[in-house]
Amino acid sequence: MKFSGNGLYVEKYVKCMNCGVLIYETDLPKSVDAGDGKLYCGKWCLNWAASRAERKSKESA
Amino acid sequence: MDPIMMKILDSSMVSVCREMGITLMQTSYSTIFNEALDFSCAIANTDGDMIACAEFCPAQIGGMPLMAKSIIKEIPLDDIYEGDVLLHNDPYRGGLHTPEHTFFKPIFCEGELRGFAVSIGHIAEVGGMVPGGFPGEATEIFHEGLRLPPIKIVKRGVMNDDVWKIILANVRTPRYNYGDLRALISAVDLGVAQMTRLYNKYGANLVDQTSKDLMDYSERRMRAEIEKIPDGIYAFEDLVEDDGIEDRQYKIAVEVHKTGSDVIADYTGSSSQAKGPINATLGVTMSATYNAMLHMTDPDIPKNSGCFRPIKVIAPPTTVVNVDFPAPEVGGNTETHPRIAGTVIGALAGVIPHLAMAAEGCTHGNFVFGGVHAASKEFFACYDIEVVGWGGRSFADGNDACDSINGNCRVTPVEVFEVRYPWRVKEWAFREDSGGPGKFRGGVGYTKTLECLNDEIIISQMTDRHKTYPWGLKGGLPGDNGATLFKQGGKGNWKNAVQLYGKASPSKYSNISIKKGDLVSLVMPAGGGYGDPKDRSHKAVKQDVAEGYVSINAAKNIYGL
Repeated sequence: MKFSGNGLYVEKYVKCMNCGVLIYETDLPKSVDAGDGKLYCGKWCLNWAASRAERKSKESA
Repeated sequence: MDPIMMKILDSSMVSVCREMGITLMQTSYSTIFNEALDFSCAIANTDGDMIACAEFCPAQIGGMPLMAKSIIKEIPLDDIYEGDVLLHNDPYRGGLHTPEHTFFKPIFCEGELRGFAVSIGHIAEVGGMVPGGFPGEATEIFHEGLRLPPIKIVKRGVMNDDVWKIILANVRTPRYNYGDLRALISAVDLGVAQMTRLYNKYGANLVDQTSKDLMDYSERRMRAEIEKIPDGIYAFEDLVEDDGIEDRQYKIAVEVHKTGSDVIADYTGSSSQAKGPINATLGVTMSATYNAMLHMTDPDIPKNSGCFRPIKVIAPPTTVVNVDFPAPEVGGNTETHPRIAGTVIGALAGVIPHLAMAAEGCTHGNFVFGGVHAASKEFFACYDIEVVGWGGRSFADGNDACDSINGNCRVTPVEVFEVRYPWRVKEWAFREDSGGPGKFRGGVGYTKTLECLNDEIIISQMTDRHKTYPWGLKGGLPGDNGATLFKQGGKGNWKNAVQLYGKASPSKYSNISIKKGDLVSLVMPAGGGYGDPKDRSHKAVKQDVAEGYVSINAAKNIYGL
């Protein structure tokens, strides 16, 4: 969440690119910045797409 | 863990929540609260976890933890004092939609903040472009009413008049809004008083520890239920028929990944967010997923944040399941939530068919209206909830005319409706043959026809299922869809909003002017059937015919009587 300098309004609602939860400033230490403006709430979400692909591959096998 | 203490405390807190609800119902002004019961009451801890609630609206119950966590992040705990009441309704900050106002009042014991009493209520009139809060043609959040970030509406027991003045200046019915907001506050006042008694009776440490044990217990129970579902990846899709702006469908797609005692509901693949107000917030998508899982697991599991822990939701931003500012979202909580829940149920229906249900009507009707009373000259506004048929199940027919899966609300009785608002209810009847045929048929919908008695009433609507049909399961047939039809002056043929008023959608429109003598007919969809209709017992079919649920023709041609 990016608040204005005076804290009175939201400049941008910042969300995890994967699960969609809001990421506040206090959450930033746990979050992962993958570059290109893609922020993830944690490593689990960063890795989910790959994990999902692996699960589906195992499922079809 | 002391199981006896846990049960005593859980029962006590659930009773507190029920008392809060009764207080809210009995002190509120609007029929959405005192008749329709569109509210929930809960107890939360200082982490924002829900530790107890009662039999209220699943949408609000599932969404409450996210709202609580959001408010705690923005108003630090050490900035919260005894007698404060916090409020927010921001849909982008964990909220469900603009009308849903959530109140938190801190519970202190031995000088320390221990938790919150919470009340969530759907305020019918919130300003915005239509009276009644559901602008079917909204294209941005600013059309949908006043949005409140986390604020203190009461500070240390003193009303924050500046906040009240801003809120009441921006709604069409300030007297009703004042009464309803005070009712929501009275609920949390009672919640705090009763919880303080519990804390004083048992001691703060025991209550806090037992609450943690309770959530752990609920988690274990939910995990045990999830373990019974075969591991695998299960996919399902459903559609929202349009968004009120463009004539195109929006896909809700889910992959349910079940591994051990964990469930991941991944909605990647759902449509990008819509221009019109069918978008769901993250709070809605999370609560819909929890709702579906609660429906398919042991109903005796105590409902708290513990039972949500094994369920992870993936809802990518800027999609119809996680809308981004400033796109509109008011219909997401009532129309898209049931679709989302339905996709999870549909996904798992293949592996736990005995716990699944065919599609229900998936709408609250959301018929909203406002105008000036001829006699009193006061503006009135109303959110009139309509109900639907539910889907057939492996063991029973669907519920007839019951509030959609995300609510637990009641219809307003005719007697109250006609006294409060200048309508005459000409007809309110179940619809024969509307329930999807099946071994267990879908629940029926109804038709409610209203005659306008006022010089003018401005109506709007945000509903669905006028073009799509509630799907059946296991060979059951779809239920019938719905419609909203008009007759100007009570004459001529029935026409929908597209045909008569040039709207983009028959199910989502804003600010139609209805005049004295005009008729409006709300046709509510039914539920899908479960199983082959030919397998329905002849005794059941004959009873359906005798009671008017099924016609003789359908009995012969569909059920094979």
